[in-house]
Amino acid sequence: MAAPAQLGLQNAASPIMEELIAFHDHALMIIFLISSLVLYIISLMLTTKLTHTSTMNAQEIEMIWTILPAMILIMIALPSLRILYMTDEFNKPYLTLKAIGHQWYWSYEYSDYEDLAFDSYIMPTYFLEPGEFRLLEVDNRTTLPMEADIRVLISSQDVLHSWAVPSLGVKTDAIPGRLNQAMVASMRPGLYYGQCSEICGSNHSFMPIVLEFIYFQDFEVWASYLYI
Amino acid sequence: MASEVLAKPQMRGLLARRLRIHMVGAFLVSLGVAALYKFAVAEPRKRAYADFYKNYSPEKDFEEMKKAGIFRSIK
Repeated sequence: MAAPAQLGLQNAASPIMEELIAFHDHALMIIFLISSLVLYIISLMLTTKLTHTSTMNAQEIEMIWTILPAMILIMIALPSLRILYMTDEFNKPYLTLKAIGHQWYWSYEYSDYEDLAFDSYIMPTYFLEPGEFRLLEVDNRTTLPMEADIRVLISSQDVLHSWAVPSLGVKTDAIPGRLNQAMVASMRPGLYYGQCSEICGSNHSFMPIVLEFIYFQDFEVWASYLYI
Repeated sequence: MASEVLAKPQMRGLLARRLRIHMVGAFLVSLGVAALYKFAVAEPRKRAYADFYKNYSPEKDFEEMKKAGIFRSIK
C-alpha cells in the first residue's frame, strides 16, 4: 500500500511490476529531458530584445525537429512493447481465481476448489483493529499461494468496475458480460492492497481489494477449511 | 576634436550568435538533467531492488509476518 503523501509507484512485488517501474523511470527521464529543453528555450525567448524580422525557410532545423522526436518516440515504444508482450504471456497458471465486481464489493470464486467462494466487503472504520488501514481493509481477504502464476478472470455483475493491485502491476476492467484475464504472481509473502479503479457509483471509493499471499501448503489448508 | 576613432561595434548577427551559443547550452542542460535523473534516481532504484533480493529469504520473511499475526488465513 502507499505510504502517506507517497507520490511514486508502490514497491514491486512481482517481476512485471519491476519492469514497469524501470520503464516509468525511463519515460520520466525523457519527459524531464524534453521539458527542460523547452523551458530553457522559452526563457531564452523571454530574455532578449533581439529579433529576426525576415525569417524565411529553415530546412535544416525542420529536419532536426522532425527526426529527433521520431527517434525519441522509438526509444519509448520499444521497451513499452516489450513489457506489453511480457504481460500477455500466459504460462500455465497454477490456479484460477474469478473476481467479480458488484456495487459495492468484490466476490471471489476459486473454481479449482469445489464451492470455494466468498464476498469481500470493506471493513468499516469503527471495526478496525489497531494497526489496520482505514478504507483499505476488508472482512474476507483473498488468500493466494505465493511464487505461483495465478490467472484472474475479472468480470462484473452490474456496472463497470476495475480490479487493481498496484504493487503487482495489475489493473483490469471488470465489464458486465465480459471476462477479462490477468496474470498475477507475487515473489514475496504478505498483504497487497488495491482499490476499485473505475467509477461505479456512490461507494466506488469503498470497495477495496486485499490479497494475502502465503505458502502453498498453508494455502491448501486454508482452502480446505473455507468452503460454502 | 579628438582624432582617435572607436572600433565599430558588432552590429549584425547578434541574434544568430546568441542562438548558436544557447542552442548548444540548451541541449547540454537537458542531457544533463536526463543524466542526473538516470544516475541519481533510476540506477540507484534498480540497484536497491537487486540488493534487496540478493539476500532475501521468503521463508524468514514469512515466519516474521506469521509471528506478527498479520495473516488471517493461518491459525
